[in-house]
Amino acid sequence: MSTRVNPGLIKEMSQYGMGSWNACFHCGNCTAVCSLTEEGILFPRKEIRALQMGLKDKLATSVEPWLCYYCGDCTETCPRDANPGELMMSVRRWLTAKYDWTGLAGLFYKSVSALIIAFVLIAIGIVAIGFVKDFNHEAVMHFGHSLEFYLILTVFTIILVPNILRMFYFTVIKAKVNAPFSSYITAIGSLILHMFTQIKTLKCDKQTVRWLEHFLVVMGYLGLLVITVFLDWFGTENRIIIYMGYITGSLVFVFTFLLMISRFSKARELNKYSQPTDWFFIIWLFLMGFTAFLVRLFIDIDLLNDHFWIYMVHLIIISQWGMLLVPFGKWTHFLYRSFAVSFANLKKAAYKEKLATAA
Amino acid sequence: MTGIIFTKIENGNPGALDYNELFSYARGIPGVGHVWYSTDVPLYDKQAMADLIKEQQLKRIVVAGDTPGMVKPFLTGAMVIAGNNPEDVVLAGFREYGATDNTKIDRAKGVLFCIALGVTFAEAALPEETDVHPDTLVIGAGIAGIQASLEIANGNQKVYLMERTGTIGGHMAMFDKTFPTLDCAACILTPKMVEVGQHQNIELLTYSEVKGVTGEPGNYKVKILNKARRVDLATCIGCGICTEKCPAKAPSEFDNGTTLRKAIYIPFPQAVPNKYLIDADSCTYVQKGKCGVCVKVCPVEGCIDLDAKDQEMEITVGNIIVATGFKPFDAGKIDRFGYGKYPQVITSLELERLINAAGPTEGSIHFRSQDKKGNWIFSVESGMPRSFAIIHCVGSRDENYNKYCSRVCCMYSLKLAHLIKEKLEDADVFEYYIDMRAFGKGYEEFYERIENEGVHIVRGRTAKIEERNGRLMVRSEDILNDQLIEQEVDMVVLSIGLEPREDAAELAEMLGISTGEEGWFTEANYNTDPVNTFVGGITIAGVCQGPKDIPDAVAQGSAAAARVLQSIVKGKVKKSIKDMPLEKIEEKAKQFSNSMEGKS
Repeated sequence: MSTRVNPGLIKEMSQYGMGSWNACFHCGNCTAVCSLTEEGILFPRKEIRALQMGLKDKLATSVEPWLCYYCGDCTETCPRDANPGELMMSVRRWLTAKYDWTGLAGLFYKSVSALIIAFVLIAIGIVAIGFVKDFNHEAVMHFGHSLEFYLILTVFTIILVPNILRMFYFTVIKAKVNAPFSSYITAIGSLILHMFTQIKTLKCDKQTVRWLEHFLVVMGYLGLLVITVFLDWFGTENRIIIYMGYITGSLVFVFTFLLMISRFSKARELNKYSQPTDWFFIIWLFLMGFTAFLVRLFIDIDLLNDHFWIYMVHLIIISQWGMLLVPFGKWTHFLYRSFAVSFANLKKAAYKEKLATAA
Repeated sequence: MTGIIFTKIENGNPGALDYNELFSYARGIPGVGHVWYSTDVPLYDKQAMADLIKEQQLKRIVVAGDTPGMVKPFLTGAMVIAGNNPEDVVLAGFREYGATDNTKIDRAKGVLFCIALGVTFAEAALPEETDVHPDTLVIGAGIAGIQASLEIANGNQKVYLMERTGTIGGHMAMFDKTFPTLDCAACILTPKMVEVGQHQNIELLTYSEVKGVTGEPGNYKVKILNKARRVDLATCIGCGICTEKCPAKAPSEFDNGTTLRKAIYIPFPQAVPNKYLIDADSCTYVQKGKCGVCVKVCPVEGCIDLDAKDQEMEITVGNIIVATGFKPFDAGKIDRFGYGKYPQVITSLELERLINAAGPTEGSIHFRSQDKKGNWIFSVESGMPRSFAIIHCVGSRDENYNKYCSRVCCMYSLKLAHLIKEKLEDADVFEYYIDMRAFGKGYEEFYERIENEGVHIVRGRTAKIEERNGRLMVRSEDILNDQLIEQEVDMVVLSIGLEPREDAAELAEMLGISTGEEGWFTEANYNTDPVNTFVGGITIAGVCQGPKDIPDAVAQGSAAAARVLQSIVKGKVKKSIKDMPLEKIEEKAKQFSNSMEGKS
């Protein structure tokens, strides 16, 4: 079967990021300069080709964009200034939209105003609930705590699990990856490792500091999640939990602040082309850690009764985060990236088997 | 009525043509009814455009802009629908006439004026002629300069051939073979060099530089700096005793640093003039005030004068040919290729010398190694590499360095692959290319031949070179097979591109000629006048006008000489187009236009 060129794809992709991808003359520099490419796992040139030819299916079924950790070497050395690094980032955003069965991820990537309207609606909703509950501190905080719990459950089962399954369908089944069964078992092991450590970033040149910053944010975020939702930080009397909360909360806002500065100063290649969604993600992460920290601080120094608004702000931030940024925004890269490593391992195993049978 | 449509390009370049000024100027041109920007007319709707033409009663349309050709087809269609002659859509392309920036806005206006009146610019802007001095100066004695000098001198006219280094010959003298014929470069060039050296009409000014140019077309006064050679050209007998005894060494320029030469030296055995010279930077006497061994051993009294000073002279010439050539790209600028870090990463020019029978290893290929004093050189004492990677486009076709194609690298890389195979039959040679540009006569066949000789040709630009297991690992993507290649080889050859000379802009300023975006000298017209400049009496030849290979450089050298001889035979040279005042062009255009109307 012959393929049809679809010139519209490159236009569609430019809604997800910036790059003069048509300039690429396919020298292969980007693929070869990348420290993460290996036999059977080649990017970004192949993705640029698929984009130029408008091969939507090929791009949608490729797992490679998730394996790029955006060190920027390819963009810095690209002889055509075609910006392959930003293409990988844009394809990740595009894939996030493709995997999302609700279609909301794509809407929010393409339309900032839609995202802002959603933010405002949620804020109004939370204030309204506070109003209904007469801003009774205990009642609102109780509601807030259960909201967090049910939100996680709902988002996980209704959005995230189906989307991961869709990702599996795209990158393994539709891509016709015939991996041996044993490789599935080893893939699960690598999944856990990469989900919590993002260790592959260290294979890139000169990315140690960046990896450490990111690692601490992830650890802080996960810690704060467990401590507020499952250990009831705002309600507990246990000193250890309280201190742990302070540590994880400050980890989140201190290091997101540093990351915000990097994005602002654009010193690193990966920080040069921030999309509104990138900004929302990092600012809300910062606000979440910061307001959580303040709420607990206000409780400890007995200020919360007079300044209950701080909890309302925190609750709004959390709700916006949990209802928008986690299911439909950049948060999903936490899952997609780690699953991608496993799916890529399947692909590599299939590739090796194919080579072996060919030989 | 004539209508003018401007196709404005908002490229944001500082100093770009001021279209608003041109727009208001265009309104004042006699016979011009309407002036628009292309965005203000229904350009892509032929019927609407035709209606507009009829409504405004336009008989002629001038499309003006940087490169306005692409919109012409829409307008010819509209003209036909409007019942007019499609031939009356004419182009005024400013770039074509050299009006590339706002300093040349008068030329753009002149072009606009002439074309609006139906007069060709070249006719109206034809500069007046003036008497020409019969002598000619050729700057640069590479193959282009040598060719031009010989053509003029053989026409019985006097030529001053000036060269910055101690010998004529230029880069071609360094090459081992030429492509695609595999002729020995020295065998073609040295007879020409000897002819230059012995020609009664050629006065050689080696080891000299231009200091300043005054005067006007046909009568230039050129101030020349004769750098102190410290060896008398007239009395030196070329015996070589001085070199033998000289204690100071420096990397050889002619051999591209692949070996060392003495401080008093002859660039290479076939140098013209075949006389010695002293390099002040490495001479112990000049640097420290004591030594003088060469003076003591020299058999000719007074031949070596270590205290000689630079001298200046002035010559008068009617024409100047600029043939200053190029500078090889500095491979050390690209960290990832490891030139300067890994000794076995070498440049193509180094390999040319290494392969040459007159080179440091007499033509056999050896590893780079350190001598007793720690200098990195090539000597027959070190081992021989068995596998080679040749990397194309080093410093060329790259937005980070030079974005243009250097044009010769593909072919010389193939040639080098062949020469390696000739010397080491069982060697593995890998070529890594982006696109294979075998564009000339016999080049495609040459490419085919090299492929058949068993050279492994890989489509994919090398991204990095690293040391692995004591060898060099070359990492690239095999584009044609979607595979990653990590090839270990013994030696990597970087096919470096061509760059304008560092002081090309300085020379251009002295002469009043212009350079393009990349720094190459600008020709009067890309297609029809590739040797003249916008300055009368100054022509360009060879790579200084843009990257080109030997046959093209020779052809352009001859072409430049033809222009010079034409003016000498006629006794007249045209003044500079750039000095034509706008009023004069307007006046002439009106005259021509009136006389044309009178005829019809």
